[in-house]
Amino acid sequence: MKTLLTILLASSLVAAAGAREVKLLNVSYDPTRELYQEYNAAFAKYWKAKTGDDVMISQSHGGSGKQAQSVINGLEADVVTLALAYDIDAIARQGKLLPADWQKRLPDNSTPYTSTIVFLVRKGNPKHIKDWDDLAKPGVSVITPNPKTSGGARWTFLAAYAYALATYGQDDAKSLDFVTRLYKNVPVLDSGARGSTITFAQRGIGDVLLAWENEAHLALKEFGADKFEIVSPSLSIRAEPPVAMVDKNAKRHGTLAVAQAYLEYLYSDEGQEIAAKNFYRPRSRKIAARYANQFNPVKLVTIGEEFGGWEKAQQRFFSDGGVFDHIYQP
Amino acid sequence: MSRIGESNKTNMKLNQLILAAVVGVLFVFPAWAADDSATNSSEAAEIEALKKQVQELDQKVRALERQRESEQEAAANTNQEQIQELDQKVRILARQHELDQEDAAAAAKTRPRLKLDASGFTLSSADTNFVISLQGVLQEDSRTFFADHNIANSGFLLRRARPIISGTVFRDFDFNFTPDFGGNTAQIVDAYLNYRYRPELQLEAGKFKSPVGLEHLVADRNTLFNERSLVTDLMPNRDLGVELHGDLFGGAVSYAAGIFNGAPDYNGTTVNADSDNDKAFAGRLFFQPWKTSDVDWLRGLGFGAGGSYESDRNGASGLTPGYTTDGQQKFFVYTNGIAANGQHWRISPQGYYYYGPFGILGEYVISDQQVSRTTAPLTSADLQHTAWEVAASWVLTGEDASYNSAVTPRHPFDPRAGHWGAWQVVGRYEELDIDNSAFPTFASSTASASSAHAWSAGLNWYLNRNVRVNASFSHTVFSGYTGTSPAVPAQTENVFFTRIQLAF
Repeated sequence: MKTLLTILLASSLVAAAGAREVKLLNVSYDPTRELYQEYNAAFAKYWKAKTGDDVMISQSHGGSGKQAQSVINGLEADVVTLALAYDIDAIARQGKLLPADWQKRLPDNSTPYTSTIVFLVRKGNPKHIKDWDDLAKPGVSVITPNPKTSGGARWTFLAAYAYALATYGQDDAKSLDFVTRLYKNVPVLDSGARGSTITFAQRGIGDVLLAWENEAHLALKEFGADKFEIVSPSLSIRAEPPVAMVDKNAKRHGTLAVAQAYLEYLYSDEGQEIAAKNFYRPRSRKIAARYANQFNPVKLVTIGEEFGGWEKAQQRFFSDGGVFDHIYQP
Repeated sequence: MSRIGESNKTNMKLNQLILAAVVGVLFVFPAWAADDSATNSSEAAEIEALKKQVQELDQKVRALERQRESEQEAAANTNQEQIQELDQKVRILARQHELDQEDAAAAAKTRPRLKLDASGFTLSSADTNFVISLQGVLQEDSRTFFADHNIANSGFLLRRARPIISGTVFRDFDFNFTPDFGGNTAQIVDAYLNYRYRPELQLEAGKFKSPVGLEHLVADRNTLFNERSLVTDLMPNRDLGVELHGDLFGGAVSYAAGIFNGAPDYNGTTVNADSDNDKAFAGRLFFQPWKTSDVDWLRGLGFGAGGSYESDRNGASGLTPGYTTDGQQKFFVYTNGIAANGQHWRISPQGYYYYGPFGILGEYVISDQQVSRTTAPLTSADLQHTAWEVAASWVLTGEDASYNSAVTPRHPFDPRAGHWGAWQVVGRYEELDIDNSAFPTFASSTASASSAHAWSAGLNWYLNRNVRVNASFSHTVFSGYTGTSPAVPAQTENVFFTRIQLAF
């Protein structure tokens, strides 16, 4: 009986080992579809050349917060590439699927590329939107996703708040009033950045879309520069979308090595170049210099400096009963 | 519109006024030129005044025209803005509706699903990783014995009354808990957990049917007759143990191998614990080579063999309580003071063939067991009992027959619509031979028969997937009985069965 069991189990293992096909699931946020489609192909080629193994990479996209919750609830991601560190912290804290200090495992706080928030307006900028204060004026319709579910929307909210603090001399009450007026101009809240792009660009709603910089550029590429134009505000936020291996899942799937290599390769010249081509700001100075022309110079604040990190920002602004719940009435 | 109309009217009046003034000037001026020079200076002043008036009128006309144009422009702009505003509102509402639908679809994906149909009541998580089902089997039978000299009791009986709770947890772990409140003894018939690593490799643990007999492995709700054949008398019933099993090559090969407590030849009342250290090994290999092929007439062919082995050490628990007829009367029992002592093995070649409404099933079994007397004369023997059966069926209404699933009527019973369900005729021949060495040391020919031969015929009516009515007749003859007092094997057993079954 024991022998039979051993033989059957061994047969299964031998069969699995012989397949030489590795499967990887990357659970990401909304606007990274195009980036990872291109990157996955490049990495698969690199991994095949290095190890001889075929790697099949599946992608899952959605609002960053929702995606994190899915992983916590059992979506078996080998790696996560989300919009903000807080969402991966939640996976570490609630799901216990990776160590709490995950962000120290890769360079630049595990953020191989950065981005920021810009405005996408209709061609000719008929509402003359130049900066954040234009968004709070009556009669301006603003499209942005829901900060409760979208990482990009949280970056957007904080960018607007940072602008208000700078404009009103760090006056919290006035800043709150500013973002309240701004969000009164938001007629529809999508759950993710890609949904908001559809609302603005395809459904023709609103005067301005508050978008990831890469998403705004992709919209121009997809829908035509004759329809929209990008406006960079005077101040925005340095959005740092981090990446991490989900240790427990990868260990169970036997994909630890390939998952680690997948993330590390994002820092390679090829990985950085693909990020830049997809309008993410690369960390590599060499690649950044090569693509400098496609990124407008914007004064950028950071989450740490301005808000004391994600933990504090999340608690104050986006937790249930937090600032956003008070200022936004659908 | 009314403002524009008024403006037009005003404009027309002014135009007429200007025209009259100009015409007046043209007529007056030549007459005035003919007058003498004394009046020249006053007339010139008058002309100048008229010119001024004309200019003023002209300016007024132009101002009114500009006013009219700006009013028209403002009205057009207002209309355009209103249209744009309405357009935005409609778009926002449409998008909001779209998002609501997306949210509803997303929520539906995570909402547990509730299902109630002919398969029972099922509650499952949206991803089906967690499922719980409530099913049941209820069988009310009647047995009517003919010319039995009051040996057997005719009457109605609740043959089976089983609520079945089954399901899945964490996608790969199936469970089943089935108590039975039928008959006179409540018992747990099935209680097991099955881990499905993949279809080819599954591990089952708990109490369930030993993987030996072909007819025995048919679910109780799907048997052709009310009672299983004499072959099942020599098979182990449900047992406690662990079994590795699976289907290979898309089900073309099925295997099962397990270690169990060990069960005697068929005992209707199963136990939940073991009273000895002896363990049994049971297994089965079954082939359906054309199961997934396109050759229709070969697809339903299956054959294989089951078997078991155990070594009993002088225990009564390994010994059958007796072999029973179709009418569930004991026609063979060991005499008192006999124990299972030594090896007990079974081998059962078996097979079936199903094609359309036709089905035939056959199996043969040898149950070889070493027994000892525990009282004088102390002696042992290796007894080899054998049995075989052939059972055939034909669905008169044309529905497909199969090995282990009920006939599904094309037209469930509904007399108002002229539908009468499905009808199936069934027949069976069976024999069981006791090893002659059993007599007289281990069994008495005045209490037991040395063999039984039986044939049965019946009609099954499937009203729908859940309700079934059976009627059958069974005729059993015995040999080797030498007693004179009325006993089961003293006369032929003729019994008429009926059953009303609810199974879901």
